[in-house]
Amino acid sequence: MSSGSNGARRVASILRPSIAEQRVCKSCQETLVRRNYASAATPISPKPSSSASTTFPVVGPTYTINAGVLLSRPPQITRDLTDFEKAYYFYQKRLNERLALPFTKYFYFKRGTPLDEDWKRKVRERQTAARDIGKYNAYGQEAWNDELLVGAKESEPEYIAEALISDAESTANNTSQDTSKQESIPRPHPRVTEADKKGDTQSLDRALQRTLYLLVQSKEGYWKFPSSPVAADETIRLAAERTLEQSAGVNMNTFMVGYHPVSHYVYNARKPKTDETTGVTLAGEKTFFIKGRIMAGQADLSANTQNLQNFKWLAKEEMAKYLLPPYYAAIKNALADR
Amino acid sequence: MAASEPSRYLARSLPRAIVPAARSQGLCWRRHASDQAAAKPSALSDLESDGLLKGTTTPVEAAKSFDPVARARARKTQLPRSRYQFRSPKYDRGPLHPHRPPPPSDPSSRLFVPGPFSLSRVDQTHESTIASDILTLCYVHNPPGFKPPPKAPRLRTWDDSSPYHKNRSLRGPRGGDVLRLLRKPITFNNIPKLERITIHSYVKNAAKENSGWLHVAGMALQAISNVKVTTYRSKTSVAKWYISPGRDAVAAKAELHGEDMEHFFGKLLDIVMPRLKDWPGVKGTSGDSSGNITFGLEPEQVALFPEIEVNYDMYPPQMIPGCHITLHTTAKTDKDARLLLSAMGVPFYGKLVD
Repeated sequence: MSSGSNGARRVASILRPSIAEQRVCKSCQETLVRRNYASAATPISPKPSSSASTTFPVVGPTYTINAGVLLSRPPQITRDLTDFEKAYYFYQKRLNERLALPFTKYFYFKRGTPLDEDWKRKVRERQTAARDIGKYNAYGQEAWNDELLVGAKESEPEYIAEALISDAESTANNTSQDTSKQESIPRPHPRVTEADKKGDTQSLDRALQRTLYLLVQSKEGYWKFPSSPVAADETIRLAAERTLEQSAGVNMNTFMVGYHPVSHYVYNARKPKTDETTGVTLAGEKTFFIKGRIMAGQADLSANTQNLQNFKWLAKEEMAKYLLPPYYAAIKNALADR
Repeated sequence: MAASEPSRYLARSLPRAIVPAARSQGLCWRRHASDQAAAKPSALSDLESDGLLKGTTTPVEAAKSFDPVARARARKTQLPRSRYQFRSPKYDRGPLHPHRPPPPSDPSSRLFVPGPFSLSRVDQTHESTIASDILTLCYVHNPPGFKPPPKAPRLRTWDDSSPYHKNRSLRGPRGGDVLRLLRKPITFNNIPKLERITIHSYVKNAAKENSGWLHVAGMALQAISNVKVTTYRSKTSVAKWYISPGRDAVAAKAELHGEDMEHFFGKLLDIVMPRLKDWPGVKGTSGDSSGNITFGLEPEQVALFPEIEVNYDMYPPQMIPGCHITLHTTAKTDKDARLLLSAMGVPFYGKLVD
């Protein structure tokens, strides 16, 4: 949330001689100056008083600074329940049926109406007011028998959804004037999509329960998150936005979450490389990842300027297969488990 | 010290057989029972690693022959009552009493309330998507060696200019007596989340006409919230509506926690709010500056809840109440609360006051 966009503050940080050294990074300089802002009334001593500039000198080789994007599609549906959760929730429902006050039928159904007749017939059939707990009489002699036996289907979410929908359908059919037409209520969409069955990892319709991340493959053949060097006078976030546009096209409705990177990866080259234009010896690359979210659209590499040839939308565990182990180890804690 | 910590814990957690012994085994000719035990496979290997998450492995054929109802019916004589019926003692008479009630989580307890019945979608979205985004958004980078500037104490002391200042309690902050909540930096363990929702309905006609208005309002609130409502008497006098303090019950309130709250919030967001006509959203100035946001719904908007729609005819059409809905969050400021709620999908409009 602290983007450091205050112009006056920047000017102050330039004019102030004390902390504007190479040893502290740009954003840290701003923060330190902001701290000193309150004590601006005190005369500025020529000697730097900040502890940061003396205790943490940044020395060592120079790295290329890259901005990367962890572009993710959040989970679209709820997760599958474990067997324990299914059994637990079902058992709680039956306990509730035993302990709750009886259903107040007269408030919902007027006596003598077709709805009332339909309700009475159904309750006679399943012996309880609840529609999703199977055949169970909570007030009878055998109310103690409230646990499911091994292999029973009543606690499965598919069974529960089907029970609720068919109940609503039969109510509509039994109470409508027009007997020739059969009412049919649309079923929920399947939780496993076509893309899942085909194994299409480029589709955004796959693995609806998981967070998917955009991975791109360079022309050399290794997989990575979209990333590129930060230009001069560019923030990490601006560079991340530019990278995404240059690599995956503009046909995506995305936003970046905050201004701070969520993770970073340091690559040390075997031999330090010398940059021809500036003559600086580069020891490797440091990539800082900004978190992004996609709401609509799809990646399109046809017009990319980042030497990319392929892309995939992958969940956390799937990408371990594609990424290099040190790369994956560096970013895996910034990825969502689900 | 710190470097030796992991190895110490590692050695403790490993089974005995793997950890190298301090003394060499070869030099000792005596046999000990503990040596024999170490040679056997570890007792930990019997434990399931998946635990409860894995299903039972009982074969279905074996389970099919088990019919508890038939078994109970075939019993010649009735079991003693103590075998199948436990009545919890009504009062907890302390730890030294021989008969104590079971804890409230036990189904045989008198205080047992069943639930939860589902894993709500609102909760899952918060956990998987929103919480991590808020953490990223609220991160503040402090450079190494940064020390926050010292703050003045929240309560001011008295300058000892007068002898009467001795032993006086501290003064409140300047510009008002209200001590605002302290906003701590948001980290992984204090990410704002929805705490509870209050639905409150003031029925002005309840005093002037009859109590039916309040009954209908209570039923409507109960239907949309799945929570028993409580009624409240007026504290103030409103002569125009014939309301006098302490005499007339004029309001109904439902407090929602946990699963009820999440399901209500989900319905509000996904079913009711998209159908509100000409509704700009929640006013940006709403909030009590400690992270609780309130907005109101008109009677025709309350009628859009699916529980009321399904038997709309049973409610007298004039009597469906409007209500105020307060979203209580664990955020300490309205800004954080608004960040959370807008991430969940509540629209805000107008000037935002933080």
